[in-house]
Amino acid sequence: MIRSNKIVFFIPLLVAFAACREKKIDFSAQVKPILNKHCISCHGGVKRNANYSLLFRTEALDTAESGKHPIVPGHPEQSEFIRRITSTDPEVRMPYKEHPLSAEDIEILKQWIKEGAEWGEHWAYIAPKPVAIPEVTTLQAGFGESDTPWAKNEVDHFVLAKLEEQKLSPSAEADKATLVRRIYLDLIGLPPTPEQASRFVNDAGADAYEKTVDELLASPRFGEKWASWWLDMARYSDTKGYERDVGRSIWRYRDWVINAFNKDMPFDQFTVEQLAGDLLPNPTDDQLIATAFHRNTMNNDEGGTEDEEFRVAALIDRVSTTWQVWQSTTMACVQCHTHPYDPFLHDEYYKSLAFFNNTRDEDTEGEHPNLRIYKPEDEQKLTAIKEWVKTHAGSTQEAEVTRFLKTLEPKFHPHDFDQFVNGELIDTKWLGVRPGGSARLKQIDMAGKRNLIVNYWSDSEGGSFEIRQDKLNGDVVGTLQVKKTSGRQIVSIPLKAASGKHDLYFVFHNSKIKPDKAVCGIEWFAFRDDLPGKGDAHYDGIRSNFMTLLNTSVDNTPIMIENNAEQHRATHIYERGNWVVKGAEVKPGVPASLNPFPKDQPYNRLGFAHWLLEKQNPLTARTMVNRFWEQIFGAGIVETLEDFGTQSASPTHQELLDYLSLQFMNEDRWSMKKLIKTMVMSATYRQDSRLTQEMLEKDPGNRWLARGPRVRLSSEQVRDQALACGGMLSNKMFGKSVMPYQPNGIWSSVWNGDYWKASEGEDQYRRSLYTYIKRTSPYPSMMMFDGSSREVCVIRRIRTNTPLQALVTLNDSSYVVAARGLALRMMKDNATPKDQINAGYRMILVRDMPAQKLAVMQGLYDDALKQYTTNKEASRKLAATQNDSPQLAALTLVASAMLNLDEVLTKE
Amino acid sequence: MFNNPLDFENLKNISRRHFLWESAAGLGAAALGSFLAGCESRSAGIKNLATATDPMLPKPPHFPGKAKRVIYLHMAGAPSQLELFDFKPELQKLNNQLCPPSLLEGKRFAFIRGTPKMLGPQADFKQRGQSGAYVSEHLPHFAKMADEVAFLKGVYTDQFNHAPAQLFVHTGSPRLGRPSIGSWVTYGLGSENNNLPGFVVLTSGGKTPDAGKSVWGSGFLPSVYQGVQCRSEGDPVLFLSDPEGVDRDLKKKTIDAINDVNRQHFKEFNDPETLTRIAQYEMAFRMQVSVPEVMNINNEPDYIHQLYGTTPGKASFANNCLLARKLVEQDVRFVQLFDWGWDSHGTDENLAIDIGFRNKCREIDRAMTALLLDLKQRGLLEETLVVWGGEFGRTPMQENRENKNNPFLGRDHHVEAFTMWMAGGGIKPGTTWGETDEIGYYPINGKVSVHDVQATILNQLGMNHEKLTYHFQGRPFRLTDVAGKVIEEIIA
Repeated sequence: MIRSNKIVFFIPLLVAFAACREKKIDFSAQVKPILNKHCISCHGGVKRNANYSLLFRTEALDTAESGKHPIVPGHPEQSEFIRRITSTDPEVRMPYKEHPLSAEDIEILKQWIKEGAEWGEHWAYIAPKPVAIPEVTTLQAGFGESDTPWAKNEVDHFVLAKLEEQKLSPSAEADKATLVRRIYLDLIGLPPTPEQASRFVNDAGADAYEKTVDELLASPRFGEKWASWWLDMARYSDTKGYERDVGRSIWRYRDWVINAFNKDMPFDQFTVEQLAGDLLPNPTDDQLIATAFHRNTMNNDEGGTEDEEFRVAALIDRVSTTWQVWQSTTMACVQCHTHPYDPFLHDEYYKSLAFFNNTRDEDTEGEHPNLRIYKPEDEQKLTAIKEWVKTHAGSTQEAEVTRFLKTLEPKFHPHDFDQFVNGELIDTKWLGVRPGGSARLKQIDMAGKRNLIVNYWSDSEGGSFEIRQDKLNGDVVGTLQVKKTSGRQIVSIPLKAASGKHDLYFVFHNSKIKPDKAVCGIEWFAFRDDLPGKGDAHYDGIRSNFMTLLNTSVDNTPIMIENNAEQHRATHIYERGNWVVKGAEVKPGVPASLNPFPKDQPYNRLGFAHWLLEKQNPLTARTMVNRFWEQIFGAGIVETLEDFGTQSASPTHQELLDYLSLQFMNEDRWSMKKLIKTMVMSATYRQDSRLTQEMLEKDPGNRWLARGPRVRLSSEQVRDQALACGGMLSNKMFGKSVMPYQPNGIWSSVWNGDYWKASEGEDQYRRSLYTYIKRTSPYPSMMMFDGSSREVCVIRRIRTNTPLQALVTLNDSSYVVAARGLALRMMKDNATPKDQINAGYRMILVRDMPAQKLAVMQGLYDDALKQYTTNKEASRKLAATQNDSPQLAALTLVASAMLNLDEVLTKE
Repeated sequence: MFNNPLDFENLKNISRRHFLWESAAGLGAAALGSFLAGCESRSAGIKNLATATDPMLPKPPHFPGKAKRVIYLHMAGAPSQLELFDFKPELQKLNNQLCPPSLLEGKRFAFIRGTPKMLGPQADFKQRGQSGAYVSEHLPHFAKMADEVAFLKGVYTDQFNHAPAQLFVHTGSPRLGRPSIGSWVTYGLGSENNNLPGFVVLTSGGKTPDAGKSVWGSGFLPSVYQGVQCRSEGDPVLFLSDPEGVDRDLKKKTIDAINDVNRQHFKEFNDPETLTRIAQYEMAFRMQVSVPEVMNINNEPDYIHQLYGTTPGKASFANNCLLARKLVEQDVRFVQLFDWGWDSHGTDENLAIDIGFRNKCREIDRAMTALLLDLKQRGLLEETLVVWGGEFGRTPMQENRENKNNPFLGRDHHVEAFTMWMAGGGIKPGTTWGETDEIGYYPINGKVSVHDVQATILNQLGMNHEKLTYHFQGRPFRLTDVAGKVIEEIIA
């Protein structure tokens, strides 16, 4: 009865629907959104109520718990799915206890089943295919009164086609002063000087713009600007995070990124080196430093923490970050269950994790493994040792010894011990066993291990430990007399020859110390063979240099090093994402819904990096094109930069995204500079950014690009611009992070003696990307302008507009100093206040100040001058001079006001 | 469910327009378009627009809430429930005996190794008030408030290290990167005060909490929702003071000049963002006056200073309690206090459960009692929810770090059970919910999770914790993750 009623009810609708519909139902555009919105939360990747899921076609067609066929392709009338969504019985009707689907939605679903219930794939999971460049109509080709066509390159054709659909017209080109400031800010992150601007403004040549673009792409400042952007994704910071949040020396990675952008390192190489530089044949120091990308994870030094827990936390962060950065995919969901609506299965998360689960880093306090950069004199010793080993044992052996000297790997940590007797891990970090106590190291492969190298310290003489094989009272295979040390000491203990795997018991003695005191503290152990060439004339010298190098002071950078076979970890599924509850073992692999793993690649990080870069990978190139687009145009073609999944924002210009992605991979061979150039050479980019009434009504967010981008500057740009205008910005590149002025009392982390020590000289005024970033207490003025504290990967900074920002740019002493610097420059060569103010405006915005605006600033100047003439002390304070200078004080106030103008804080 | 869901969505979308480029089809953009129609020439229109785009604009709750504001007192380091509220005479009998293996099997502790000894309560207890709740002699003043508060004795967590546990309590996740509860609340409800931040943080005890400023960060929410730390030394809010040589009058003229030029610029560019900037500069100017005013306790009458035990100009928990009262009086939405120094391991005198811990109790007892009394006498307690707690509890065992005796008596971190209390804001006074076993190891009834506490706080403010979400990284996130149940038993 009920069913026939329904049919009667739907006939007129069906007719109407069929009449207006010409094309087949599009699964991705029409069906999937309905399923995602109304069905998938109970019948998807997380919950499978009634054992029924609509995530994959095979599941959707399969019989549910009731035994009925939910979807019978071609037959909506036989499909239980349709019966349930159309039923009037509240116990039967789906969605259960929610509003019924709209008649229109139901009709779409019926028609879709009738047409065969095909499972169209979401656009983002199909590799981009060549697209035709849209034809441009005459009207748009010749914009405005001139005969020159508006479109300048292919980008414009795609944009125009969409504008036409939206019934919007593009804007004219911005004036040259606006354009030159825009291109400087976008390409190098700094405004042009008035001289640089004039050069462009006065160049009437047809190639003036392109010349400027090329100059900027070649500028060393280019890499600094784009490094800031990448470092958000890399979650780069100068501290380890968590409770103690002490410093970490990883700035060489930041410098690597700057250099990579400046060299225009192709994105494929950029990817491979960061994800797997250590797995390349004979990696260079630079390639190893690149792997610090994934050593930017946090490291927990809090006493009482278990290293394995935080190693796993870092590992999970690496998986999530990799998927977000390269694939615009949120794998984090899949840690606990199959993705609720995207085609990624629970075990696929762990297959992905398995690629990253075999690195040597284990959340140790020393952040091992580190790349050791030697001083030049030590570097010579290293070269000599390398040559020696090569001559005596060949290049494989040479590589092994070099790796140890450069990274101290492979080695073991105190947390590898168990069966403690009268001993423990000191502060849960270092091995500390008391006299008569012992600890066990399990199943060590002793073949060819004739030395044990130990990093230890002790504050008392007379101690020792011996190593006993297989049992507590087993054979002694090595002994160390523990001496009082000043700081850490790395020594080598000869071991008896053995073969096979053995448990080793370390037994400690010292009758001269109190029984509750540890004999020594130990940080790490490495089992090694003798150096080759034993017995040769110079052997002792080489060996002694080897020990010297181990003990010398070096500059460390945390890097990735793959586990050897002995320390290999099996990867298990963590049940419900809980690392303590291990499920089935999994092998490395990639999701079935994406491109297959390349046949010629190994199943490790290197192979994974190559898989990301396969031409058939649907996400990598699009992801990067979309992110560059957002940097240049203010919003992505896909607005959700971090997510291309089925819940993401639809691309506004999908053909353009695909076109640029193919060009990026093929013609441009992953050149990031070429990609940026294509974007900024377009007429779309060069448009005026004024909003018209029509744009405000039809497209307030500028998604269809009928005008140029107008967005607030980034936190780095706001500060760098002020310093540049104040004439104090330092051009010094690279090196340790710097500490510019910050109010007292900002840093007060617990258990941490670090303090903010203001940098000296030009280091006070370096570009903002060199500012020291402490995760739990980031540089305050940067945070107020939406900078990232780099705790986790940030794909998209959200721009806010708050009163605290006004307080920074008005009152922070760095900005007052910049305003004073600007005022001094304004005074130079300009006599009247009017000229001085205009000169200041020119220094910031590279154009003359409109008369009405100038009048306002002059009014402020006059008021201030009057006050400062009577209140000399105030003038001396603001002008920071010994002598009275009411003019300089008044001008400083005006300069500060100008640095706070909306048009100054905005790229327009 | 919102009273008027459409309105809320509307406001949310408009404000989000600042942060996300809403698609042209979005409701927010459509609404914005209508706002803008014809506003070019009418200054009233301009003003409306600037207000409508203010992300801190007050928003209606999901349902009428009992509380309008929250004061959250966090004792960083985790105070011992066994010396304050959870009286365990049986534990006294077991004092100094070895801990039975059954309590240790399968457990992970931060510092306890091997077999520790049991440690009896290091305080005397009495039943207090009509409710008969036990409060120890360490809190003689607060003991009189037993009938005003609701005790939760069976709170548990799953994090036994300070930083992750504090993050868990304040952000619902033990890892960095999520918004704090104060951010969620201001995101959900906005701020009633135009001249002060909506979410203020005050710290005492000489250090920031172990998890750093992240415990009041805005995570993935726009940074406008992060907590603003008000400090007792230097500028009360960073960069609040005018530069030397610039007085109020000149600052006013400066801001007027900036806004004048910006208004001219708006006429040319029509970008609503410019209007927001004009409004924010005006608010910055007002904040420069209102923040020092509210942060100044010099003008409070003597009896108030005596009540709280405050000394003006000193960074203390007592001063912060008084400031908290002043802030909620000004309708600040969320006031977060952190007091550092509660980690009573017994590794030194300050961290001894029978010495340093007692001193910490003295530091807070009078002040937190005064806070409740003062809020009550001003009629503010009804609409102000006060929450007190740490990030976990302390073990009934004596800590034996590295499997040897600690120099002083102390307790290790304990995740299974600890005590929190709430008062005001629609909480049932004089109640106790939850009970632990004879030694205070496990809850035997009324077990509540950290997420339950968070759900309850949001509930008192009129928000459904399952509906207060923010879309990030492709999915909606919420404070309580995928858990949380409102603790109905303590609601009036």
